[in-house]
Amino acid sequence: MENKWSSLKEKTAPYILLSPFLFGFIIFFGYAFIRSLYFSFTDYDLFSIPNWVGIKNYINLFKEHLFATALRNSLTFAIIVTTLQTIFALLLAVVMNQKIRGIRYFRAAYYMPSVTSSIVITLIFMWMFQRQGVINYLLTIFRRYGLIIGVFLTFLVGIQLLLVVREKLRSRPVEYFEPGYIILSIILAAIITYVLKDFGIIKPIEAKAVDIFWLNTREKVPFWGGPFAFPRPLGAIMILNIWTTTPTFMILYLAGLQDIPRVLYEAADVDGATGLQKLWYITVPQLKHITFLVVTLGLIGTLQMFDQVKIIGNQAPLESTITLAYYVYQSAFPGASAPKVGMASAAAIILAVLTLTVVLIQKIFSGEGRELRD
Amino acid sequence: MKIQQNYDNDVNLKIKRRRWMNVGLIYLILLLFSVLFMGTFLFGAISSLKDNPGSWPPTLKTEQLSLKNWIGAYKLARQGGGSGFFGELKSGYKVSLEVTYKYPKGIEIQPPQIIIPKRFKGTGRTALELDREFTADFVETKPAKEIDRIPEKDGTQVSYKVIVINTSQKDFSELPLDLVVPYKVKFIKATLFPNRIERLGMVQSWNNLVSGVIPYVFHNHFRVFNENYSRSTGKRLFTTWIFNSFFICIIKVITTLIFASMAGYALARLRFYGKNTLFIFILFSMMIPGQVTFISNYLVLRDGIFGLTKLFGGGSLLNTFTGLIISGLVGASAVFIMKQFFEGLPREMEEAARIDGASTYQIFAKIMLPLAKPALGALTILTFQGVWNEFFWPLVVLTSPMDKFTLTIGLLSFKDTYASGTFDWGPILAGAIISALPVIILFIVFQRYFIEGISFSGIKG
Repeated sequence: MENKWSSLKEKTAPYILLSPFLFGFIIFFGYAFIRSLYFSFTDYDLFSIPNWVGIKNYINLFKEHLFATALRNSLTFAIIVTTLQTIFALLLAVVMNQKIRGIRYFRAAYYMPSVTSSIVITLIFMWMFQRQGVINYLLTIFRRYGLIIGVFLTFLVGIQLLLVVREKLRSRPVEYFEPGYIILSIILAAIITYVLKDFGIIKPIEAKAVDIFWLNTREKVPFWGGPFAFPRPLGAIMILNIWTTTPTFMILYLAGLQDIPRVLYEAADVDGATGLQKLWYITVPQLKHITFLVVTLGLIGTLQMFDQVKIIGNQAPLESTITLAYYVYQSAFPGASAPKVGMASAAAIILAVLTLTVVLIQKIFSGEGRELRD
Repeated sequence: MKIQQNYDNDVNLKIKRRRWMNVGLIYLILLLFSVLFMGTFLFGAISSLKDNPGSWPPTLKTEQLSLKNWIGAYKLARQGGGSGFFGELKSGYKVSLEVTYKYPKGIEIQPPQIIIPKRFKGTGRTALELDREFTADFVETKPAKEIDRIPEKDGTQVSYKVIVINTSQKDFSELPLDLVVPYKVKFIKATLFPNRIERLGMVQSWNNLVSGVIPYVFHNHFRVFNENYSRSTGKRLFTTWIFNSFFICIIKVITTLIFASMAGYALARLRFYGKNTLFIFILFSMMIPGQVTFISNYLVLRDGIFGLTKLFGGGSLLNTFTGLIISGLVGASAVFIMKQFFEGLPREMEEAARIDGASTYQIFAKIMLPLAKPALGALTILTFQGVWNEFFWPLVVLTSPMDKFTLTIGLLSFKDTYASGTFDWGPILAGAIISALPVIILFIVFQRYFIEGISFSGIKG
């Protein structure tokens, strides 16, 4: 009897341990997903009994202008943000992967944007993107002092080249980004620029303040982009998003960088590879599986971008910021008019399918994917 | 031999110098990036102290951060009978402000006109206190007294003393002041720099002369707390939101820790029917956006979990914390993290315990959980951060009354509260900075766990 009881206890143990999780998972995910699928074939409006309408919702969606805009915005956003944030995260991680004093504090400082909530970040960015905001002010400064900055940069590159070429002519081992020379060039270029400015040879330009509408505009950027141009408010959200998620992915890359065998770099040093070559031929291929992860997480995250659109709200025209996720929310809770749950669900299913497809395509192209399974 | 040694020294020196240069350059780059990532926050935080963060040009110069004004605010608050750091205007006390103007040639020198304005606190829907007493009705002012006159090349600098006396029996918490001078007269300085200079420099306006140093510096932060009252209970909304957020975070952290480790252990080590299918579904759910499932979940809460809770007398679960919590007891990603962690642990101890006759529950509670401390630490931090920052689901579930909001949804409502034509960025920024503080403090203290958490969920995933 005792034995039977304890064997029953052992047999049910997994289910009992899983039960609290399964309760939520089945009701709030499984059931919800199936019901969304069902709603997408009905004309449900949150109150009356749903009627089966077949694939009418899906057909209507593709006729609707706002949905097409949302789909386009979502895709542009996902592709641009994922690409840029992956590149930045990798580069940042390479810079951060140093064994120098205090690196921990820098890492912490960089990670700050990733721990704060979307609402806080978006509010601060909305303040910065005002017409008379920080971003426009910085652009104004660049416009006014552009000449001086340009002169400084020209001298910086010129002096650096001069120094490196001189060493190369003497056939000494030297890189184009020789750190000592860069510091020397910065100092020299700064002195020359200062002297030129002091003598009044170069002057800040008397330009008007930059007055770019970042949010309240229907303009598209880049203006030469033609069909690939996207609304400027969406661009503002892109900047914001890249800024917040790059540090998260940098952490992933950092962990990966520490696993690369040092021998590879030492061998490359013996062969006389430059820093860029090492980055391209060793670091990038060795981090392939992390890149897969970063791109996958990036795509999943960017395709469901919602918070920023909701928070910016009426500060920007709806067509300029709307994404698929927001379209779903907006159709289900439109405020004044009747909820179109059928349409919302259909759009939601399309969003889900899109996410899965994009991840799948990515998986096929990178030839990776074991990581996600085991 | 000697030459060889010299040569070696030379090379060593060069290598060393090169390494130092390298380190210097890296620090330079790191600093530049710090400005990019931290600067935004710091700039936001500093600007949240300003009277008008939306002013052009946006500079770092902030009157609220100047020592001179701190001393001024301290002095004035002491004169009013307060402590200096937190001030007030007590009955019978006298406050005197020194102010200096420059009168250009050709403009008659006359003392500024003194007005004690009657101002409502807050703007728009926040200005609810209608039956307030105004300090202006109870205090006396004397005409400004000239105390100094310095002739200059193109005009005259004149200093005045403005005196306000509280002749009533009451104590007041604030003393606003406006000084009006003729056109073209230039304001030079005062004991306390005015909060606003309006009408082409003719009006210098102070919000509160006797605020004391701390309310003076954190003017906008105090506004966030003091200007938002609940219409139903009269409580301070912002404080309520902070408590709400903390409450939900703590409950969810506890449920997540318990349930995720239970489920994670079962998935990692136990054999049961449908294990692989379940795991695939978990991965699947992690890719599906919340917007796909929220309509059904909304309905489930509205009808009280298939109408079951209604049978027991409970109503709709919308706008309740029960609803918000029950729908997110434990996330799939938390289970995933715990599963990955348990799989990485060695099996020997477990097997030894099993041979000794321990049950699954005993093994889980006595052996596995103590081993899982680092993962649980990381999960605590990640869950707290995730719940504190959660936006979409609270937005759907909590719509009214405002007492039920979490901090994120509350902050969103600030966008309406402080927008009348143009944004009043002061309290909006202040609210944002305050609500970011707990997570930032948590991050600074438990930095290691954050980084580990990311790696747990990422690398092993």
